[in-house]
Amino acid sequence: MNPILRNPLALIGFIIISVIALLAIFAPLIAPYDPNAIDVKAILLAPTSEHWMGTDALGRDIWSRMLFGARISLLVGIVAVGIATSIGIFLGALAGYYRGWVDTVMMRIVDIMLSIPTFFLILAVIAFLTPSIWNIMIVIGFTSWMGVTRLVRAEFLSLRNREFVLASQTLGAKDMRLIFLHLLPNSLTPIIVSSVLGVASAVLVESGLSFLGLGVQAPQASWGNILNDGKEYIQFAWWLSLFPGLAILITVLGYNLLGEGLRDALDPRNQ
Amino acid sequence: MLIGISLISFFIMHLAPGDITTTEAGFNPKASEESRQKLRELYHLDKPIIVQYGLWLERMSKLDFGNSFSSHQRPVFWQTTDENNNTKLGMIQEALPITLLINVMSMALIILIALPLGIISALTQNKLPDRSITLFVFIGFAIPGFWLALMLMYWTGVVHHWLPISGLHSMGSQNLSSFMQIMDTLKHLILPVFISAITGLAGISLFVRNGMLEVLNQDYITTAKAKGLAHNTVIYRHALRNALLPLITIFGLSIPGLIGGSVISESIFAIPGMGKLFFDAVLMRDFPVIMGILTIGSALTLIGNLLADLAYAWADPRVRKGVVR
Repeated sequence: MNPILRNPLALIGFIIISVIALLAIFAPLIAPYDPNAIDVKAILLAPTSEHWMGTDALGRDIWSRMLFGARISLLVGIVAVGIATSIGIFLGALAGYYRGWVDTVMMRIVDIMLSIPTFFLILAVIAFLTPSIWNIMIVIGFTSWMGVTRLVRAEFLSLRNREFVLASQTLGAKDMRLIFLHLLPNSLTPIIVSSVLGVASAVLVESGLSFLGLGVQAPQASWGNILNDGKEYIQFAWWLSLFPGLAILITVLGYNLLGEGLRDALDPRNQ
Repeated sequence: MLIGISLISFFIMHLAPGDITTTEAGFNPKASEESRQKLRELYHLDKPIIVQYGLWLERMSKLDFGNSFSSHQRPVFWQTTDENNNTKLGMIQEALPITLLINVMSMALIILIALPLGIISALTQNKLPDRSITLFVFIGFAIPGFWLALMLMYWTGVVHHWLPISGLHSMGSQNLSSFMQIMDTLKHLILPVFISAITGLAGISLFVRNGMLEVLNQDYITTAKAKGLAHNTVIYRHALRNALLPLITIFGLSIPGLIGGSVISESIFAIPGMGKLFFDAVLMRDFPVIMGILTIGSALTLIGNLLADLAYAWADPRVRKGVVR
């Protein structure tokens, strides 16, 4: 049976993520207002039936902005993790397959990257580039591949000398065939788990950057920058700060539940 | 390792379009041509890139990170004394102790809370206490620290006026006795320390739980129980000690995260530590400060990992004996 359905944690996480993804995909249809439409007659309104989550200092509808913000979170999370996972698979496969000096060099690079405080590194790169959603995805991707690399390497190292791989090699299979047809498919489980957990941390990093004003730039809505706008008005407009934070919390929780749940469900020792 | 870090820092500096003195790179357009020239000279931008790197490395080996652009030419790392015997304190020199203090305090808080949570969780595996602690752990993982900080700031500072919400000192605290000054600073530190602890807490307590569970299934625990040792002796003398060993490594590994996390909490609470300094430097494109903090932060991580390794060797007789041999 499907591993997601078997594990309650994974199932809850999967439902949370699906709902948020659907809201994000159909944001233009669901959103009652244009997320960037300024309405001077409706500034800083508390939540009402017309504006579910209130309005901000420019009279923009928060619920609509939240929906469009979900798109940003989803996009940044998935693209950043896609980049990180691709780099990780490539470098990890090289290190784990060829071993020897290739492995030593790769692992040294990983060690070096890991010893630089990641958030500092991201901010430093952003400082030298202009903050935009594309740059953020790329920067998060290029600063978070180390875990996957280690993972793929470890899997490859342990699979490399198994009978089925050696048999295939004896039959004359080329390196590429061994890597992509035999080794990689057998290491997929931990890669999937770490990607799902990776999306969670990418969402957190993006919202953190946007909160500092160095992430997604106005007028484009992201949960982080709604919060950033909201913190100025926290004394009399709590809704500006509460909802985006809750959205981030729930999304990250969803990915973490799914990731941990998958880890349990796919772990052969638990079956 | 250090060379690799310096290479990366150096590479980042060259990510900027054009050279770093041009306005495209976000350099202050009001800067005079003269100061630009100075900067070009400082980084030898007129020389080939390899030479630039070599010269930069040479300055770094002397821990000379140059002077800040934006803060009246203050030295980035350590104090300097000019010909008139005026000492200018280094920016990192001032900021580092504050960040270290906060992180050490939050680590202490993490241990204080996470240990009991993890142990309770492991001992009541899959029962109610374990379930609720696990739920708490998941929320702790997912909660954005800056949001929690904002909410707590609002709740304790704005609504109830229980705690000060920004800075390290109250207005007029210079006039207080030194004891009251320390109390005042501690009060300012409650929220930042709590915030940086809460995000680390979840991971550590989960780690203690899993470590305990693994150790509790070992044969020697069964032996100890079979010998008829008291329940508490088995748990605390035999199991806990072994479960805690890997924690040392985890703490070593969490240093870069803690330092990086200080950016957000320090800028929210307006605490003049490394994170705030770095954030301001990023906003001002104060390159010498950015490069300096990046390098010092990484060096700190390396020192932290080294200390963790040494502590591990000290705590684990197996490793210690191995080292001696």
